Amino acid sequence: MATGTQSGASIWTTRWTTLTLVLFPVGIAINFVGKYVAQALKLPLWLDSIGTVLAAFIAGPLVGALTGAINNIIYGLTVDPVSFWYFITSVGIGLVAGVMARLGFIRSTARAIIAGVVVALVATVVSFPINIYLWGGQTGNVWGDALFTALTLRGVPLWLASFLDELVVDLLDKVLTVLIAFGLFKALPRRLLSQFELGEGEFRPTA
Amino acid sequence: MRPVGLYVERRSSLHALDPISKLVYAVCLALVPFVAGDLRVAFVVIVGNVVLLAIGRVLREGLLALAGVGFFLATLFVVQGMVYPGNVTPLVRIGPLVLYSEGLAYALWLTARFVNLTLSAFVLLFTTRPADLVDELVQAGLPPRAGYVLLSVLQIIPSMAARIAVIQDAQRSRGMETEGPVWVRVRAFLPVLGPLVISSLVAMQERALALEVRGFGALGPHTSYRLPWRHRLAWPVRLAAISALLMALVWRLAR
Repeated sequence: MATGTQSGASIWTTRWTTLTLVLFPVGIAINFVGKYVAQALKLPLWLDSIGTVLAAFIAGPLVGALTGAINNIIYGLTVDPVSFWYFITSVGIGLVAGVMARLGFIRSTARAIIAGVVVALVATVVSFPINIYLWGGQTGNVWGDALFTALTLRGVPLWLASFLDELVVDLLDKVLTVLIAFGLFKALPRRLLSQFELGEGEFRPTA
Repeated sequence: MRPVGLYVERRSSLHALDPISKLVYAVCLALVPFVAGDLRVAFVVIVGNVVLLAIGRVLREGLLALAGVGFFLATLFVVQGMVYPGNVTPLVRIGPLVLYSEGLAYALWLTARFVNLTLSAFVLLFTTRPADLVDELVQAGLPPRAGYVLLSVLQIIPSMAARIAVIQDAQRSRGMETEGPVWVRVRAFLPVLGPLVISSLVAMQERALALEVRGFGALGPHTSYRLPWRHRLAWPVRLAAISALLMALVWRLAR
């Protein structure tokens, strides 16, 4: 009996195997594909962190955070150098998605929506200072920026307008992202998920 | 499908330079305007980057890629011109909207910084095969496992993107609508993504087994198939880039 590992397990416990290592590229590829399909279907959303959230659901917050980090490094090194600046946002998304999963927020659709709202809030809190620094508060999303302009012209402080600019986009985007990841997670074979489980009496995303 | 990234296969002296020197150059020069805090410095560096892209024979591709964000940069001028907190001097009046000169100047500064960041990165990205960059990083001390993760992303994405088309065709032949109003397109998202993601995650298990069998998790030193990339200008370029960044810092402090 591996009682020693049981008592030491926490929200942060991660199984580091070759399978975990292979999960990173697949998660990042899913991010890429989500973004690509969203663009191909001309959706006004990003949907570019489904893989990060899914990796966090499968293997925990640390794997989620690392998937987000590597995702932005690779994006910065190949396609879009600005994504380096949003490195911390991706780490935050992966971390929070993993913590919410381990706390039992992906047992039902209603709970998954709450998890999505929390992820959206964290992503917004981390992103909007970067937006202010780089773009004077804008996000580059047409809806959000229209709101930003309207609010600032009415005398709302810049930081608040920028926060809301990011939040309106993120709220829809991240709730949808978490719901899609939740749907995919539910469809994964037990055979696969069992290899990431930690053992008896420990945190299990699927109870 | 063409590989991920901006790399353009050409022959030029910039293509011949080793990837790490170009990485050092890109990081340092991208940061110069941020550190210097001066619009004139930003313009000097932008001109330098344009010249380098021309030397690398990728100027046309670089400017085309930059044009993609032109719309966002335009909104930057309009929005900042209207709402920048330091606005006092009205410059242009279009109906009920007033653009202030302070906001426009701020937008110009943000744009210059962004354009420079992008062009500096393009000097690296357009002239360096991503695989070469990762290989060099591993030889310079990056753990081989991290190198594997970076490289395999670049290999997995094209193969997944190719499968999307197949899945989309299959779903369409079953009657799924992929064009029309927003909600129709949102509904089309999952049937495309679902089969793709699940099959990729299942295939992931096989990849892990294949790696294990080939000694991926083995202890001890790992050897490389490639020789290190040597270039006589490697160190001069790196030192020049780092001193440019230091000069920007001096410029900032001296003013």
